Amino acid sequence: MIELHRVIGSLQQQRVGFSLDTTDLCFLVTLSIKGQNESLSCFEEDLLYEVFGQVCETTEPDAQNVRKRATHALQRLREQRLLSRVDGAGLVRAGDYTLTPLAEAIVQFLLQDEKLTRESLAALTGALRSLLAEVLGRAQSARTADDWQQQVLAPLRNSVRDLVSGIDRRQRGMDAQQEEVQAQISGLLQRDWFLAIDHCEELLESTSTTLRELNEILLRDLGHLQAQLTEIESLASDAEQADSVAAALSLGEHVDRVRAWGTSRQHVWSEYYQFVQRYLRDVVRLDPERALSQRLRDQIKEHVHSPYALIVAEASLLRVLREESDEVIRPPVCRPRQIRERAPEATFADRRREEMDAAVDRALAEGVPSLHALLSRLLPEISPSERFAWTGRITARAARSALRSSEHDCPFVPIDGNAGFCGRPESVLAVQDLKLSPRRP
Amino acid sequence: MTSEHPYHSLADALCDPLFPDVDVALRQGRHIHRGETERYAFLSDANDHLERWYKKYGCDLVRTADGYFYLLPQQDKVRRRQLSLAEMLIGKVLALLYLEPATLQRGGIVDRTLVFQSLATLVGQEHLMLRLNPRKKKRDERTEQEQVRKELKQALLSLCELGFCERLDEESIRLHPPVLRFAESVRTAGEPGEALRELIRAGKAAHVDPDDTQESAAVDEEPDSSQAQEGVE
Repeated sequence: MIELHRVIGSLQQQRVGFSLDTTDLCFLVTLSIKGQNESLSCFEEDLLYEVFGQVCETTEPDAQNVRKRATHALQRLREQRLLSRVDGAGLVRAGDYTLTPLAEAIVQFLLQDEKLTRESLAALTGALRSLLAEVLGRAQSARTADDWQQQVLAPLRNSVRDLVSGIDRRQRGMDAQQEEVQAQISGLLQRDWFLAIDHCEELLESTSTTLRELNEILLRDLGHLQAQLTEIESLASDAEQADSVAAALSLGEHVDRVRAWGTSRQHVWSEYYQFVQRYLRDVVRLDPERALSQRLRDQIKEHVHSPYALIVAEASLLRVLREESDEVIRPPVCRPRQIRERAPEATFADRRREEMDAAVDRALAEGVPSLHALLSRLLPEISPSERFAWTGRITARAARSALRSSEHDCPFVPIDGNAGFCGRPESVLAVQDLKLSPRRP
Repeated sequence: MTSEHPYHSLADALCDPLFPDVDVALRQGRHIHRGETERYAFLSDANDHLERWYKKYGCDLVRTADGYFYLLPQQDKVRRRQLSLAEMLIGKVLALLYLEPATLQRGGIVDRTLVFQSLATLVGQEHLMLRLNPRKKKRDERTEQEQVRKELKQALLSLCELGFCERLDEESIRLHPPVLRFAESVRTAGEPGEALRELIRAGKAAHVDPDDTQESAAVDEEPDSSQAQEGVE
């Protein structure tokens, strides 16, 4: 199992990166083709400069200092491990160079025909089926771990995976081809409008046919491939060959992805197909002069000055009542509220204070000589338990309504008789015998 | 039930499980196009019966050559409304983009930014601000732009709900054939005023007084200036 974090960390530490411009790529492609055509195993330094100059003439005709640029390009390609020196002579003489496998892979990728055709797909799936049948046969007869390793695991990891990847790669090519067709249709209409209809329809039809055929093959063959892989996985599982099980499972997932691609592209293309057909019918055929766009553009510019509005229905949404639920609604936990305001009650007016004030004023008016005499006169009418409190009130009233002499001359005198008792027998009221004389009005 | 006459009577059509959905959608102003395969097929098959059914409500069930249906109330039994100025402008720009071959390349998908850009280019930013957000008192420009942008976004959403287009994600919108309704008044090469008068006579459109638009917009709430951003993209 590849430890992804370690790989990423290592690549990051090495600062791995690629920087190739069009001239660099063209240079690599030219070298590779020249090598093949002239059966060259390596390239002399002068040849490299010469080829770079030829490429530069095409890609950047105005470039200055081509030799200097070539030196930098060679250095860059060597640093990126795309070109390597193979003579080992160092400073002694100019070197011989060759393209590395990485450079060859890039060139191959750029040159190879990725077109997915009915034939290429049928050939690939056919090869896969026969290879898998062979691997299945070996898995059935495998006895030892070595047998599994060499007869089953190795072909699954290499040959079978390569073939599945081949389909995958060609599918990406097909995606690119679809995009190209879409751009072509758009370009044709842009350029020729009404005259482009037939050509657009041809393009649409041919791509649709290709896709349909590819899907038929995918649906027919991939199911069979999946079944073969499942059988291999089952045998590997019985033989406890974990690596082979993992390889078969991984390939199965890959095959599933290939199948999903077919379905998804068919769907997307179908939507596009319908859209274009509608467009050709509703827009292009009905407006052969392509004047509608211009008229609409003019109208948009004028719309703010002379607006109109389209009418649409606008019924309010239907009211959907909630369904009755059996949910028990628990009342929130709370304390009953305290009633702070009490209702008024009927009661008798207590007018004793006013009556007592009037009695005090009357007694003073009649010439009561002292506080002692005043209290002795008024207290008998009051219950013993209240006499102490009323003594204070009567004294206060008398003080406001009468003049009194100095208190230094007035001794405390108990109130006579029953009037001096205030509740208990031993408690007797005693007051200073202040002399009172009525105030002048 | 044969494929030629799937619905023998109105009752057959009304009993179809699709009817409630389609009925509610039509009454809410939705345009149903060929892409909505089942609903469109139902409307096509039951067209004769449903036309008579909706006549009772004072509505026309309109079927267009571009392949879509919509309900057009001619009386007040079913509520109707006029599209707002912002909805009309956005709708027209969507129709224009629908006609562009460049849109065809993307299968009818356009970016919201492109819609707003095209509108600002065609109408002019100043005009848009003036018409969509007219104020007697001059305010912060960014606040006004924010208000206009908000209104345009709302209009676009509203058009999606009406079936003219479909919101795929925050930025992408798929255009549908009903958007060509916005180009109906310029469909023929004749005098555009006459075509518009014909639409108004048919009850499909209504004249709008430009001053009314200003009046109605003038009572809008003031947006929060702290949220103001850049102008119409």
